[in-house]
Amino acid sequence: MKKNVLAIMVAAATLATALAGCAGAAAPAADAPAEAETTDSAAPAETPEGGIRLVNNKVEVDAGLKKLAQAYQDKTGVPVVIESLGGGIDTQATLKGYYQADNMPDIFVFEGDIHYPTWEGLLADLSDEAWVSDTEAEYVRDGKVYGFPTTTEAIGLAYNADILAKAGVDPKSITGPESMRKAFETIDAKKDELGLTSVLGYYTESSQLWWSPGQHVFGTYFDSGLARDDTTYIDMFKDGGKLDMDRATPWAEMVALFNEYTDPAGVSGTYDSQVLGFASGKYAFVTQGSWIGATLMNDDKEAYDAAGHFEIGMIPYAFIEGQDTILTNSPNWWGVYKDGNVEEAKKFLAWCAADDGGQQILAEDCGFISPYASNTHAPDDPFAKTIAEYTAAGKTSSWHWLSMKEGIGQNATGVVFQDFAMGNFPDAKTFLDTLQQVCTNYYAN
Amino acid sequence: MRRLCQVFHENLACYVGPSTKSNSNGPMFQNMGVITMDFAAKKLISPILIAGGAVMLVISLIMDFTGSGASVRGMLLVLGIVAAFAGLYLFPTQKHHRKIVYIIFLFPLLFTFAVTVIIPLVLGICYSFTDWTGIRFSNIVGLGNYLTMFSDPAFIWSILITFIFVILNMVLINFVGFLLALLCTSGLKGGGFFRASYFLPNLIGGIVLGYIWQFIFNNVIIGLTGNISWLARSKTALFAIVVVYIWQYAGYIMLIYITGLTQIPGDVLEAAKIDGATPMQTLMKVKIPMIASTFTICTFLTLTSAFKQFDVNMALTNGAGSVANFMGNYLSNGTQMLALNIYNTAISKNNYALGQAKAVFFFIILAIVSLIQVRVSNKKEVEL
Repeated sequence: MKKNVLAIMVAAATLATALAGCAGAAAPAADAPAEAETTDSAAPAETPEGGIRLVNNKVEVDAGLKKLAQAYQDKTGVPVVIESLGGGIDTQATLKGYYQADNMPDIFVFEGDIHYPTWEGLLADLSDEAWVSDTEAEYVRDGKVYGFPTTTEAIGLAYNADILAKAGVDPKSITGPESMRKAFETIDAKKDELGLTSVLGYYTESSQLWWSPGQHVFGTYFDSGLARDDTTYIDMFKDGGKLDMDRATPWAEMVALFNEYTDPAGVSGTYDSQVLGFASGKYAFVTQGSWIGATLMNDDKEAYDAAGHFEIGMIPYAFIEGQDTILTNSPNWWGVYKDGNVEEAKKFLAWCAADDGGQQILAEDCGFISPYASNTHAPDDPFAKTIAEYTAAGKTSSWHWLSMKEGIGQNATGVVFQDFAMGNFPDAKTFLDTLQQVCTNYYAN
Repeated sequence: MRRLCQVFHENLACYVGPSTKSNSNGPMFQNMGVITMDFAAKKLISPILIAGGAVMLVISLIMDFTGSGASVRGMLLVLGIVAAFAGLYLFPTQKHHRKIVYIIFLFPLLFTFAVTVIIPLVLGICYSFTDWTGIRFSNIVGLGNYLTMFSDPAFIWSILITFIFVILNMVLINFVGFLLALLCTSGLKGGGFFRASYFLPNLIGGIVLGYIWQFIFNNVIIGLTGNISWLARSKTALFAIVVVYIWQYAGYIMLIYITGLTQIPGDVLEAAKIDGATPMQTLMKVKIPMIASTFTICTFLTLTSAFKQFDVNMALTNGAGSVANFMGNYLSNGTQMLALNIYNTAISKNNYALGQAKAVFFFIILAIVSLIQVRVSNKKEVEL
């Protein structure tokens, strides 16, 4: 008898516990906003009541964006939550998870054409916003504006102005393949005297650094020297991965030239060693873009200061005589989720773009080089000056490589550059043929 | 444990209700609150509860799927489940009552299992026949993904090197692990220290370990091999992954072998010694046959874990590496094994449907391996 009562009690207790568990999961919906402030940073943030939530993919500007959010809240009373994903997290995959879990942020980051198909129909139309007329870098698709540009990044061949001056090479004299070769030869002859490891830091390691050769160096083929809206070569490429041999041949010869004058350690080096090599004055040129400015000012500050805090400039990747543009773009855009708090999100973006609003914080705390014409704030970045010069002279091209099929750099092209750098192809033509084959296959599968 | 279960079963049999045992035990049966309820009442209440519970369930699910924000829907769902179960429990049957109670008790576990394993598996198989993007799908493509997958030389290559990797690992890890086990059980001074140190790499996570070894290969070993790192060429990179994986896993396998070796009865070894067997003869004729079942376990452990190899592969080479000519194609994924190939297809190439199809194929391979493992292990147990 006792046993039976006990058994029933145990059964009841089990059931009660199970139910308590269920109820606990179902209940918080009502009082969530009150708990939002204590949300663990590891868990996805909750959108504050009446406010907005922004998902950013650059952890390094997290503090700056939080300051921006605080400033906005102080001014308007609308709370803004910044959620920074990064450090190896695939932002888009996480966002997909948020979408499935019905936990979309109001503003989120995406990288243009590659990610647009994923979010097609889910982004709010921003065409009527005032800031659109103040910039050239907004994300436009089918005649409508969907993306808010945050910063400007530039792809060009970055150089150490001190070394070039000492070697007697005028960067302005490099206007095409022949002058580039001549400049490299001149510097190479004085390598020991200048304390250089090699003329160029062109790194091709393919497991982590695939994006540098596989996307950026490759990307110069699509845009170098062309007008911002010229899509000839990317359109051709999108049609099954075809390369135009007339344009690609001199480009491949430029890559061969890089291989000739680069540091051989580049085939198995890292981003850190590449940038550190440049910062400490061991390379006269480096095949990285303006984003290394932040690395020079922070992680590599000691080495950079020890090397004399030299001035940095950029020359175009001029593989055909007369190409005089560097490639600038907003590397990603902020999109507004159409089922989120669209009105507040639009107001926040407008405030960010306005000169008396967020621009100063974006420039000085996040190091963003503003894509807005009305902006008067510049970050403390060694590349700010050279980018401003090219922009003012109208000598910039776009980043059409962003429209290549997703993952091509990591899964296809990056390795070909490394293979070429290791000397596995006899000449530039074999390299180009292989690259063509790899791209065609990538588009076919 | 078994004893506990028996007690539990007996209890169940008592309070569960009108089973033969309870019937023969009249007064006790009469005293049981719920169960004394007569059949007529049960007949009435049970269907009402089941129907009411079902209605509440359906309403709350509809509210959920239509995106209703009403906070009562969670409560409604819970109440619905409770009511349905109560109804089920009171269902007027003698024959199936015990089964119903089993189901009610099993429900929490079954539910969790379904939500975390069964439903994702079924959904995944369904998605593999569509053009799912991770957000939505617009077309059903039938076997399209499967055809694409097997016409892609890069994927065939991944399958091939995975098999090579598995075989190499199975042989080498067991060999190294067994040698280390012999070493640690040979009465060597400081055996405990060696045992711990060989096992230590297993405690480091694969990603961390991969990055550490990447640094070693690219900065230290490169000095021995000339200017080109092992990781830069596909063949040597694959070898590098094998080396790192052995380093990580052999210690674990060693522990299992040590357990096996120490369980060999001392009298057998002593008898062999008295008979004048050399250490080699003892090893081949006594020790190895005595721990045959340990070999089976270790073989399958290394087999399945090598198949699933992902973290070291990702951290060490991320699948990169060139293959000059495979089926007439130049490949860029020279060191990419199956699991990493699936991951990159879905995440990096943003082709979730194709990745899902590959995952289904991967699931089939692993299922076959596991079934063989179970079959063989069972057979061995009988023989022993």
